[in-house]
Amino acid sequence: MTALSRRQLLSFSAAALAAGAIPRRAGARPLDDVTAAGRLRVAVYRDNPPFSFHRDGKLVGVDVDLARTIAERLGVGVEYMELTAGETVADDLRNAVWKGHYLGGGVADIMMHVPYEKEFGLRNPEAVLFAPYQREHFALARNPMRMTQPMLAALPDEPVGVEIDSIPDFFLLGAFGGRLRDRVMHYMTIPLAVAALEKGEVAAVVATQSQVEAALGERVKDFPVTPVTFPGMMASSWDIGLAVKDNSRDLAYAVGDIVAAMLEDGTVAGVFGKYGVTHNTVVME
Amino acid sequence: MKRLFRTCLLASAMAVGLGLSTAAGAAEGPSNDDLLNDAKSTGDVLTYGMGLQAQRFSPLDKLTPETIKGLVPVWSFSFGGEKQRGQEAQPIIHDGTIYVTGSYSRLYAVDAKTGHKKWQYDHRLPEGIMPCCDVVNRGAAIYKDKVYFATLDARLVALNKDTGKVVWSKKIADYQAGFSATAAPLIVDGKIITGNSGGEFGVVGMVEARDAETGELVWTRPTVEGNMGTLNGKDSTMTGKLNASWPGDLYKTGGGATWLGGTYDPETKTLFFGTGNPAPWNSHLRPGDNLYTSSTLAIDPANGEIKWHYQTTPHDGWDFDGVNEFVSFDLKKDGQVIKAGAKADRNGFFYVLDRTNGKLLNASPFVTKITWAKEIDLKTGRPVYNDDNRPGAPEAAEKGKSVFAAPAFLGAKNWMPMAYSPATELFYVPANEWGMDIWNEPITYKKGAAYLGAGFTIKPLYNDYIGALRAIDPKTGKIVWEYKNPAPLWGGVLTTAGNLVFTGTPEGALKAFDAKTGKEVWHFNTGSGVVGSPVTWEQDGEQYVAVVSGWGGAVPLWGGDVAKLVKDINQGGSLWVFKLPKA
Repeated sequence: MTALSRRQLLSFSAAALAAGAIPRRAGARPLDDVTAAGRLRVAVYRDNPPFSFHRDGKLVGVDVDLARTIAERLGVGVEYMELTAGETVADDLRNAVWKGHYLGGGVADIMMHVPYEKEFGLRNPEAVLFAPYQREHFALARNPMRMTQPMLAALPDEPVGVEIDSIPDFFLLGAFGGRLRDRVMHYMTIPLAVAALEKGEVAAVVATQSQVEAALGERVKDFPVTPVTFPGMMASSWDIGLAVKDNSRDLAYAVGDIVAAMLEDGTVAGVFGKYGVTHNTVVME
Repeated sequence: MKRLFRTCLLASAMAVGLGLSTAAGAAEGPSNDDLLNDAKSTGDVLTYGMGLQAQRFSPLDKLTPETIKGLVPVWSFSFGGEKQRGQEAQPIIHDGTIYVTGSYSRLYAVDAKTGHKKWQYDHRLPEGIMPCCDVVNRGAAIYKDKVYFATLDARLVALNKDTGKVVWSKKIADYQAGFSATAAPLIVDGKIITGNSGGEFGVVGMVEARDAETGELVWTRPTVEGNMGTLNGKDSTMTGKLNASWPGDLYKTGGGATWLGGTYDPETKTLFFGTGNPAPWNSHLRPGDNLYTSSTLAIDPANGEIKWHYQTTPHDGWDFDGVNEFVSFDLKKDGQVIKAGAKADRNGFFYVLDRTNGKLLNASPFVTKITWAKEIDLKTGRPVYNDDNRPGAPEAAEKGKSVFAAPAFLGAKNWMPMAYSPATELFYVPANEWGMDIWNEPITYKKGAAYLGAGFTIKPLYNDYIGALRAIDPKTGKIVWEYKNPAPLWGGVLTTAGNLVFTGTPEGALKAFDAKTGKEVWHFNTGSGVVGSPVTWEQDGEQYVAVVSGWGGAVPLWGGDVAKLVKDINQGGSLWVFKLPKA
């Protein structure tokens, strides 16, 4: 397998898949632009711990650190564009990489933390999705005294915390004929749900594993975290990668190679570990 | 008379002291009585709605279907800058000055005679605001020496009306939590009353009253039952009854935002605020009526207590906000005069209620296709649902069944205010004929995480038009006449004693119609889409008309197939002023 075809496999976009050939370079050569400018502009989500968030006034997090290393290895500086999440990631791709928000502020060269999935890529042909670096799961964090079994079916008659407007929220509200509905407790963020678990307001939390682990920190030993699947429902796990605008394939190739190297040499796992998060290897099909 | 005299004295004293040459009444500004009288006074437009009841009716009659051919532009004022989109404002006119808001939270004071700018206030918007539906603002309020408007970062700003200097600026909600503010504030008895907007999730609708002088909070009234109101800094009463129509803790984040503001009826001393749809979007997860979402609330302006409610879409599953304006009027029927009010709801029905108690008097469709309900039962006041048309629960892994629902989620009528003429006894409703396909997306993501979303596409119902300006008889619910417009109508309506109805079109025209027959009698191309609300007033013995021009709003952002139809309309940002010159 040549390097180029591997890269193609790593990129989901309608054009590349439809053409089934080496994508043609458009007039714009964003890698050259990035090199000439001497800096890589990276979109990260605003207020999204442990991936991108402010601590003591500084922007930190897994995605922030990974982006800094990517820029270093490209030989350029890094500049962050904090992105307020829209209703769906399709909005975020438009605002961050291929069009910009109508309020202004421009676009970034690359965006971190973009779900990497074929169907989703086909529905967003304006962006190229590439270089998955983490497999995410939904997980159950529990107080083992109040909930002995790490299974959703074994949820006790006690309050369960979720992040509002998330799949665990929808699942628990609707599951088992709505039996759990009255004791689903809603929190604006996962750290707030985890704080409620620690305080004993809820017996368990169902949310994104990495965010639960990071929020628990050292106390993860007191509140075991177990990945869960939602029977009858869609994705309980998914991959996270990067995105560029569809005219920026050369940049995607260069960054993709860097991320592949960072995965191999343990850099990525090290960054996840620094924030108390399990790094799950992405399995390429 | 007494008040006028005092005003003169005060004004001249100020003029001497400050070396200014202010006209009588200018320094003091409009009083509460002036605001209450705004529907009758013809020399000014002091309130959003041209009167607190929001009938948008002017007693002026110089302009008629016969004389309107003489209506000519006097001047046009550009909002400037690069911010050319989404002008949804209604101008305010006081003492020879027009106060008009532009998109991106800007406010201008312009000389009504000459079009010269007196001052301009550009609100500094922080990074990270995320207004849901464009950068619009719907207008300012004026009271005494201050003008007020709400900003996209969810602040309420009070400015000195003569200088444009900020007197106070209060945070009304947290923009970082997704809140925004776009409605024109309402001022009643010295209190400035606002709703809230933004955030599709995690929000509870709120009506809030502040002291107009200081901006200090007087009372708050959450719109979702189970939440506690406040009065003078203390808990007052709970809205409704805890968990009566909501499961679990969902009432804490139940939606019901009051993003379009409200109206006021001085006769019954009642505020009317419409509320948005409930959250979460999937109705199967929240069995119950979900009070008081998708409703009209009648509220006591003194303390924020709810007098009555009427829910237009109980247990909404189609995104039918109930925010639309409730317009008070006298319903003359069978020799009686009933204190009534009317609302053209997003869900496609035109409701007439007894405004003293919220009892339903009549409900009739004002669009040609309504799929979600067969009718509104006049005895129970509740819709008779078409159960098959409720979007399904998004649980299956595969793409869910697609449901075609009409009206579309942008509504049979969206934000754009209707008008009522006591002369013709007709309502003039800017409606849109569209539906939507809704389905459950198999794979969606939100902030990098797997998510269950609904997919939807808005579709026009007819090939030749979407917008329809309709004259509706509130006694019968019958449509008396209609004007069909190719693009969706997105601007407010004005009617006058001169037997005229004005409204704008996205294609760029300000149009006038014969109020009795619907015959188009005048139009003027403003150069960009008209999605604001026109006003009229008298100045130096001549009748004036003003409207803002500048295409934008939710249609180009959310309109699916419809957005493609209007993609060639150029954006803009200007205020147009017309007059009928003296013969």
